[in-house]
Amino acid sequence: MRSGFILLISAAWGIIGCSPPAAGAGRELVTALTGKFPPFSYYDRQGKLAGFDVDVSREIARRLHRKSKLIATEWDGILAGLLAKKYDAIIGSMAITPERCKRVNFSIPYYNSGAQLFVRRDNPGRIYSLDECAGCRIAVVLGETYQRFLEKNYPDIKVVTFKSTVEIFEMLEQKRISGFVTDKLVGCWQIKQTKRPFVPVGGMLYTERIGIPVRKERVELLKQINRAVSAMRADGTMKKIYRRYFGTDVSSVRQSGEMTFAVKAGKLLKGFAVTLMIAFSSILIGFLLAVPAGVLLMHAGGIWLIPNLAVRWFVDVIRGTPVLIQLLFVWLGLGFRPFSAAIVTLGICAMAYMAEAVRSGLLSVDPGQNLAAKALGLPAVDRFRFVIWPQAFRVMLPPLMNSVVALIKDTALVSVISIPELIREAQSIISVTFEPRIYYLIAALLFFIVTFPLMKLSGKIERNIKARGFQYDQG
Amino acid sequence: MIRVDNLSYTYGNGVQALRNITAVFPREHIFAIMGRSGSGKTTLLNCIARFLRPQQGAVFWEKTNILDLDEKRFRSILGVVFQRLNLFPHLTVLGNMTLAPRRLRGCSRQSAEAEALEMLDRLGIAELAESYPAQISGGQAQRVAIARGLMLKPKVMLLDEPTSALDARTTSEFAQWLRELKSATSFIVVTHDLSFAGETARNGMFMVGGRIRECGRMEDIFKHVKKEAGTYD
Ligand SMILES: Nc1ncnc2c1ncn2[C@@H]1O[C@H](COP(=O)(O)OP(=O)(O)OP(=O)(O)O)[C@@H](O)[C@H]1O
Ligand SMILES: [Mg+2]
Repeated sequence: MRSGFILLISAAWGIIGCSPPAAGAGRELVTALTGKFPPFSYYDRQGKLAGFDVDVSREIARRLHRKSKLIATEWDGILAGLLAKKYDAIIGSMAITPERCKRVNFSIPYYNSGAQLFVRRDNPGRIYSLDECAGCRIAVVLGETYQRFLEKNYPDIKVVTFKSTVEIFEMLEQKRISGFVTDKLVGCWQIKQTKRPFVPVGGMLYTERIGIPVRKERVELLKQINRAVSAMRADGTMKKIYRRYFGTDVSSVRQSGEMTFAVKAGKLLKGFAVTLMIAFSSILIGFLLAVPAGVLLMHAGGIWLIPNLAVRWFVDVIRGTPVLIQLLFVWLGLGFRPFSAAIVTLGICAMAYMAEAVRSGLLSVDPGQNLAAKALGLPAVDRFRFVIWPQAFRVMLPPLMNSVVALIKDTALVSVISIPELIREAQSIISVTFEPRIYYLIAALLFFIVTFPLMKLSGKIERNIKARGFQYDQG
Repeated sequence: MIRVDNLSYTYGNGVQALRNITAVFPREHIFAIMGRSGSGKTTLLNCIARFLRPQQGAVFWEKTNILDLDEKRFRSILGVVFQRLNLFPHLTVLGNMTLAPRRLRGCSRQSAEAEALEMLDRLGIAELAESYPAQISGGQAQRVAIARGLMLKPKVMLLDEPTSALDARTTSEFAQWLRELKSATSFIVVTHDLSFAGETARNGMFMVGGRIRECGRMEDIFKHVKKEAGTYD
């Protein structure tokens, strides 16, 4: 049900051709889903993964005599992760499309669904099908196949994309769009859960078959999955699971939208802790690397020329490319585990930014200081440690603090490589509560609590330096 | 005793700052190197202090070429106070004075500080101990820089233009202070201020265009210089 822009990413990683260790070779069946796609996958009252896809994954693993292991990852990179052998299969409501079939093999469909247009119940635009939507803004989730479908068949419609249905619901509530197209089952379920005044109009646009992709070379695994799926359909297991979430009998529909306060708070705090952990380990690594790098950047002559150029070039490349790409490269391209990928990437990033601060800090120290220390007979190491560095450090602190603040904010990016940090946890809560305002606000506030004192501190140090006249040409 | 033998120094841009200088600096309390701006005084000082390497000739300490002395020994013989002083701005006066003794002689902090306080007291600037360089006046800073150099008890200490940042009154106060300073160290003072040189030194030399024009007792130097330049102050 989602589209080919992810194929672009996966193709890119395919070209780089990496071979990280194969996941799930043993007794585990490792499958991926987003955890943000209720009722197919979401976090339940206890904060554990649940949903239609989760139940199907477990059932298939059971029938394969394997332990089920679920990985929650971003939809944007989910196929790329499969190709990079991060997991065995994706059981996450992925539609079978010819484009995807070029890169992976799909199982037989385990359910069918279809695209549906939804509008506000009061229907201010008098829209009863897509034919009346010319010139209207119709929303879809970024990466879903509906975007393609609309652009091809309804060129007059202004298609707008959002990261999830949460944003789309807000937009429609505020009448900033006329309607949206999404999966009929999911749409109805979400509208009911959130008690929104939206209704489906017109018939299903087309039907999609939902399958389980595995890598092309996993022929045996595909056979086993197919056998399991057809058995589940034949003996009614699939229907049973389906009824749990979409049954007409309301009492049998599983409740999901009601995470307890403790679970929500726990998720946010845990995410916050992860964010801080990643931020501060990479800042530490970055700083420890930045000092020698900054010293190297100061020396360009003689034997220093080659290392100097190498560092210069490396720093420029890091500073000149998006952190997101670096993260994806280290994670998928070099096959790092998510946490190491995050810390390594952000650490190196911090290094690149801090090295520049270290260099200019060192340059701000009057060369006469070194000469005077030399005249006192202090060896080079002592001159650096006791004379140059302490003066340079005071000058480099404010820019260093800025890098630290920027880096803390950059940790938000690691949510895309499936690390359960603050933003990802907030999103997983929002995907069931449909309250983006409050949870994004809380997440922002938590960030601010950390960055604000740092920014204040930086300003204070700066004023202090000016007051004490540390930079050279004091008397 | 420092001896300079046939020393020549030419900068990268072709300026020949020293031309075949030969001189002996006798061990006495204060010896003055005088000359107009650009006559090569600082260059000579930097050659003696090993910050510049002369293209020709050599500098001797007693009978040894200074290039043959190891760094630690050389710096314990010869101290330098630069024209710009270069006090360490992040350290107090005490911190400035105790850094080298602690690192080089392995003194404990207490003993180094006791020594420094005693030195400051002897030099009459004990009240500056806890001040930072940015908080003290130019004349005080000059004395602190000398005190810092004296902590290592060098045999000889070079002072480059110690009065360039001082007004007339501070200069004569400083001259008196330097004259009365009780120390085993002998000073070589580089200056273009003839009256300051006359107040402090008994012997000296006068440089012109990278050469020594006069060398000897101050009275004789002044006689020659006055006769020659008339109005040189
Ligand atoms: N780093 C340098 N590079 C090139 N030329 C220099 C350099 N330093 C000094 N000179 C030149 O060498 C000559 C002697 O300079 P020096 O600094 O030794 O003179 P000085 O007697 O100390 O003068 P002042 O009284 O102004 O300090 C001058 O002509 C000066 O322009
Ligand atoms: Mg000079």
